[in-house]
Amino acid sequence: MNPELDLEIQRIIRATPDAIWEAWTNPEQLAQWWLPAPMQCRVEQLDAVPGGALVTTMSTDGAEFVPHVNACFLVVAPRERLVFSNAIDSEWRPANPAPVRMTAEVVLRAHPEGTDYRVLVRHGSADDRATHEEVGFREGWGAVTEQLATLVEGRN
Amino acid sequence: MAQYPAELNGVFSALADPTRREVVARLGRGPASVGELARSTSMTLPSFMKHVRTLEASGLIRTRKEGRVRTCTLDRERFDLVSGWLDQQRAVWEGRTDRLVQFVEAEQEDA
Repeated sequence: MNPELDLEIQRIIRATPDAIWEAWTNPEQLAQWWLPAPMQCRVEQLDAVPGGALVTTMSTDGAEFVPHVNACFLVVAPRERLVFSNAIDSEWRPANPAPVRMTAEVVLRAHPEGTDYRVLVRHGSADDRATHEEVGFREGWGAVTEQLATLVEGRN
Repeated sequence: MAQYPAELNGVFSALADPTRREVVARLGRGPASVGELARSTSMTLPSFMKHVRTLEASGLIRTRKEGRVRTCTLDRERFDLVSGWLDQQRAVWEGRTDRLVQFVEAEQEDA
């Protein structure tokens, strides 16, 4: 873990590893939590096998859907570990996606209260990201805060 | 690092509402009174005050009362808190995890 590039999230979730696995790998379920409301999510491809595709699109009006995530699964150990990266797209083409390249590792462990849930997200270097600065953040909070920060900083 | 996500949660939920985003954007141009801010919305003063309180609780704005006028100013330090790219990614993943937890725990109760 590199604190300048990576982030880690850990929670104890009151649900079984099975239920969490299902939420991640069943397209209908993933679509329900993957993006913040009011944005709508469509899971276009979800093939939870190593090398399988993870493609999601998003919409603000429910009519026009734009690209969101286009990634490829690296490791799929049912109910235990899921690793995917957007540095290789769903067709295995090397990609340089906005806002930043990342590999996400989701680890589930049985816990007396349910599941010990961990996510480790490893990002490409910050230099990578600089080239995408103008693209901005497309997802929810990122977009909101960045626009606001620009607005606020630009006018004071 | 430990107190970070909780602080961010307040900021992001404060910014979840379009009225509050408008207020923040307006205050980016300089301080304004609550009355002035409320007039630019179609809200009553009491309902508008709820938004002001939420923004104040998140630390995004500060308010100061002089006589009968309450003036709001933007706290730029809060913005610095969410301006780093890694912080933004963290916020995305924290949000995702919150929604996953909500989703699976609700499913569990239904089962």
